[in-house]
Amino acid sequence: MEKITFKVQRYDPDHDKKPRIQQFVIPFKHGMTVLDGLIYIKENVDNTLSFRSSCRMGICGSCGMLINNLPMLACHTPIEELKKDTITVKSLPNFPIVRDLVPDLSSLFAKHKSVKPYIIAPDMAEIEKPTAEFLQAQGQLEEFVQFAYCVKCGLCMAACPTVATDRHFLGPQPLAQAYRYSADRRDGGAKERFKHTDTHHGIWLCHLAGACSEACPKGVDPALAMQLLKRAIISDSLRLRKKPVPPSVAQPLAEKKPRVAVPEFTIKKPGAKS
Amino acid sequence: MREVHWKLLQYITGIGIFFLVGYHLIFSHFQSDEVTEWSSVSSRAASAGWFTFYVLILIFGIYHVLHGIRGIILEFSLPQSAVKALDWAIVLIGVAVFGYAVYIPINGFIS
Repeated sequence: MEKITFKVQRYDPDHDKKPRIQQFVIPFKHGMTVLDGLIYIKENVDNTLSFRSSCRMGICGSCGMLINNLPMLACHTPIEELKKDTITVKSLPNFPIVRDLVPDLSSLFAKHKSVKPYIIAPDMAEIEKPTAEFLQAQGQLEEFVQFAYCVKCGLCMAACPTVATDRHFLGPQPLAQAYRYSADRRDGGAKERFKHTDTHHGIWLCHLAGACSEACPKGVDPALAMQLLKRAIISDSLRLRKKPVPPSVAQPLAEKKPRVAVPEFTIKKPGAKS
Repeated sequence: MREVHWKLLQYITGIGIFFLVGYHLIFSHFQSDEVTEWSSVSSRAASAGWFTFYVLILIFGIYHVLHGIRGIILEFSLPQSAVKALDWAIVLIGVAVFGYAVYIPINGFIS
C-alpha cells in the first residue's frame, strides 16, 4: 500500500448547511496513525482542515473522531490495523460540530461537572490543611482505580445509543465518574451524587448496551461502573449500604519536610484582571 | 418516592411475574383440562388462594407493563409538564385496567 484515501467530513457552520465529505489521497508510511494522516493533509494539502489533537499518545483524549464508523482516538489508531485502503473520518456523533472534525464537548463537561467529580470529604479541614496522608489499602483503591483512568475524550458518549436518543441522559462518562468518587473511601458525598443520578434521565436509562466499554481507548469499563452505581443506589435506598468509615490518617512523620511555598506569580491578587 | 423505588418495584414485579405466570401456565394450561374461559377463572377465584393469585398477577402485570411503557416514553426527552401528565395518565390507565380486570375474580369470590 503506497497511497491511502482519506474521506474527511468537512463542515463550516458559516458557509455549509450540512456536513459534506472531501476526499484526499496521501502517501502511506509504515506505522502511520490516522492522526498522522490528518496532520499530513493539514500541512501539505489543505490547511483549512480543522481537528483537535495534542499529546499524540492517547493520553489527552483530544483527538476523538468517528473513524470508519467507530468512535476512536485518531492518534491511537494505526492505519494498518484498519485493514482498508479508504478511511472515513467524521466528527464524533451525539455532539454538535464546531467545524470539520471538532465536536462541541461542552455538554459532556457540563454533565461531568454536575455529578461533582471530586472528593467531598467529611472532614474539610483535613482536606484544606492536611496534617498527613489519608491511608488507603490496595483493595480499597482497586474498587475504583480503573474508572479513574478516564481521559474525558467523549468516545463513550458518542458510542452510547441512549445518549443518541435522549439528550438529557447523563451518559456513561459522568455516571462512571459518579461511581468512581462515590466508591472512594475518602469521599463523603455519595448521597449527593445518588440524588443527582437517581432520576428518570439518570442511571436507570442505561440499558447495558455496552458500547461505551467497547469504545473506551483507556480500557475503562463505564458499563460496569453504571451497574455498580445502580447496585449502590438500591442498597442505599434500602439502607443496606455500609456507612462509610472516615479514612484514617497516617501518623505524621517524625521529621516533617517544610511545604514548598506557592510561587508568587500563581497567586491571584484581589482586584487583578484574570 | 424516589426513582430507585419505582425501579426496584419493576424488578420485583418482573421476578414475581416469572413465577406467577409459570405457575399459571403449569396448573391452568398444561395440567388442567378446563376450558380456557372467564367462567373457569370465576369458579376458581371462589377460593381465597386463587383469588389472591389472580389479584397479585394483575397488580404485578399492570405495574410492570405500564412502568416499562413509561420508561420507553420518557426516553423522548419530554418537558417536565409532559412527564407529569404522562405519570397521571399511566396511573389512571392502571387503575382503569385493574378495575375492569379484577371484576371477574371478585365476582367469583363473592358468589
